[in-house]
Amino acid sequence: MPDPTTRPAGIPGSGLTGPWPVGQYAAGLRERLRGLTRVQVFGEVWGFKGGRAKVYFELRDATGALPCSMWRRDWDALGLAALADGAQVVAAGGCDFYPGSRTSSPSFTFDVTDVRIAGEGDLLAQLERLRRTLHAEGLFAPQKELLRPALPRTIGVVCGETGKARDDVLAGLRRRGWGGRVVWAFAPVQDRHAASRITRALQDLAACPEVEVVIVARGGGSLADLFAFCDETLCRTVALLRIPVISSVGHHTDRTLLDDVAAVTASTPTHAAEAAVPVHCADAHAALRAGAVRLERQGRRAIVERARTLARLSRAPAEHVARHRARLHQQLRELRAAARRGVAERERATRGAAAALRRKGDAAALARTRGAVRARAGAAALDRGSSAALERRRRDLERLRLALAAHDPQRTLERGYALVEDAAGEPVTSAAAARAQPALTLRLHDGRLPVRPDPSAPRVP
Amino acid sequence: MAETDVALTYEAACERLEAIIARLDSGEAGLRETLELCQEGRRHVEFCAAELEAVGQGLEELRLDELVARLESGRAEAA
Repeated sequence: MPDPTTRPAGIPGSGLTGPWPVGQYAAGLRERLRGLTRVQVFGEVWGFKGGRAKVYFELRDATGALPCSMWRRDWDALGLAALADGAQVVAAGGCDFYPGSRTSSPSFTFDVTDVRIAGEGDLLAQLERLRRTLHAEGLFAPQKELLRPALPRTIGVVCGETGKARDDVLAGLRRRGWGGRVVWAFAPVQDRHAASRITRALQDLAACPEVEVVIVARGGGSLADLFAFCDETLCRTVALLRIPVISSVGHHTDRTLLDDVAAVTASTPTHAAEAAVPVHCADAHAALRAGAVRLERQGRRAIVERARTLARLSRAPAEHVARHRARLHQQLRELRAAARRGVAERERATRGAAAALRRKGDAAALARTRGAVRARAGAAALDRGSSAALERRRRDLERLRLALAAHDPQRTLERGYALVEDAAGEPVTSAAAARAQPALTLRLHDGRLPVRPDPSAPRVP
Repeated sequence: MAETDVALTYEAACERLEAIIARLDSGEAGLRETLELCQEGRRHVEFCAAELEAVGQGLEELRLDELVARLESGRAEAA
């Protein structure tokens, strides 16, 4: 407690009472606030955190908010699970004030003694409506269409001055082996001024022509803490910036509207830094060296190969003539050898044919001699055979003549027989046939006599 | 590519360099084209090397107001 005897003099001319020791005033304030009527308020819960002695959360609506706390035993007695962001509740309680001390900060709180869950809140719904509006206006696209440099020389970073995000961004850039220029635009990242200050920082960075890409980074926090990054003015500003913005706000499970409009969203500030420099500088150096080597090698090879080709072509005519000459000599040698082979073969064939011809001539002469002998013998046998056969045939002929004469009907007629013939000259051999004929001819050995049968004559058996 | 050097970026230079090397590797380029491609490729290598050199000097940190002050003093000197 300050010693009242050391109380300083007041401000000259001021009509206000005091000066009072601040602790005394703070204690008075607490009593005053505790004396206010206890009420029920309703709103949406954000940033619910459970401590050992108390639970803490904020109640918000579109026009204001209250920091709330509740004794742990009272909260546990309700039997409720942890409240999700956006849950609509009715809270009963009254104002309270912790006056602080030399070593601790004062704080105002709405001391809650009872809670009733009233349904889902509408701040999230408002957020969704704004998201749909921005999307419908096509504001999610422009940033994504911007070209992001693979190797920016200057990177702007918007983050809290004292947060861990700053170190994470630097770590990410160093991991890439990047040694360019980082321009810090520090801004509060969660109070009520955050959105406007972040917007201003982004505009200022974009106004510097050296800055080629901007990272907006903030560590994790409740979605309520991240509401600054859902600010409509901030999002519209980012959507229309000339340089790409890489957003890394909160945990990867939180999606702010800034994430939607930004060119790229990264899960951590380190990843955001890596996204800002997609190329690993050491790898790029190595690849470039390899490319340069290949380029030189290809260029040298193109010239050397062509020089070799040229030299080969210059030698070609002489080589061509020599090649043809050699081939010609070879063909000549082959031709002579073939001619010699051909003559020898024909000589051999002629000798063989002459020998065969001689053999055949000898055989023919022998055959001719044998044939003459056989012909002479045959002629003698033929002469003998022909005279005997002639005699035998003469005798057979006489015998046949005699047999034929014995059967001649003329000889029968000469012996007194007659042959009866009809008008056509056919023999009639029966009495009945004779009776049926109108006229008959009797053939005798010396001529024919016509007769007529008498049908009235009695039949003689 | 010389006429586009004004707007040349690191990634465009890398892309063109890869295309040049692929063309040379194919063996289809004639002698004159090969020599021109080699010359152009060397320019891109130098450009990329300069870009890498520019971000290889060690990380420099500036606050936005320092950069603005530096830019304004640079403009004043230029004027």
